Amino acid sequence: MVHALREAHRVLRPGGVLLDLRPAAEHRRVGIGEGRRWRLIGVMREGFEEDWAADRAVAQVLRERWFRAGRRQVFVLDRVMDGAGDLRTWIAEFQQRRALASHAWLLARTERALERTPGAIVGRGPVRLRPLHRLG
Amino acid sequence: MAMIVDPQRREVRALARATAWRGKRVLEIGCGDGRLTLRLAGLGPRRIAAIDPDAASVRRARAALPARHRRRVEYRVGSALRLPYRARQFDCVVFAWAL
Repeated sequence: MVHALREAHRVLRPGGVLLDLRPAAEHRRVGIGEGRRWRLIGVMREGFEEDWAADRAVAQVLRERWFRAGRRQVFVLDRVMDGAGDLRTWIAEFQQRRALASHAWLLARTERALERTPGAIVGRGPVRLRPLHRLG
Repeated sequence: MAMIVDPQRREVRALARATAWRGKRVLEIGCGDGRLTLRLAGLGPRRIAAIDPDAASVRRARAALPARHRRRVEYRVGSALRLPYRARQFDCVVFAWAL
């Protein structure tokens, strides 16, 4: 990850900015209903080892003065899914990128909730955006 | 079935606040199927180079690229560890869920 940040530094012009956009290391929540009608069904149990490793890499390039940190933003990002099949696909994609225990329990719970209250499935989680200004 | 990511467009609004985009040369690392690339294109950069290691995702991104963006957006297959670009050619680099 440090190497990727240094590659980004190489292709940036002096004074350019790197934007580190990624989900915060917090468990995503899955619910039914959009906007204010959203109702929690379950909390995912993903691990955060890769997020922490990325944080350490960013801290290293800041410490080594490759970049200077700008003001961080945090916002909530929703992923709206039509049905349980989409939720299954999302979890499967997750499992391709990182270790994730079986979430069959979450699928089953969501399907039961949909039988009682039809609606869109919404995965929700905070996302961080941090500008890193190129130094040197 | 369909999945809509960020229907409220909070992500692109945060990006718009983070830096000036108009006329800039932008590199997006981890573009995937181009979901965010198209939203970035709407912020008015001069050029977007978008790269992802997954060839299938890049094919989907190219296929979904609207004609109005074809002169400004270029997708490539490649790795963040060895970027196929010259030094100092971008004003902004976005790690899009990729670090």
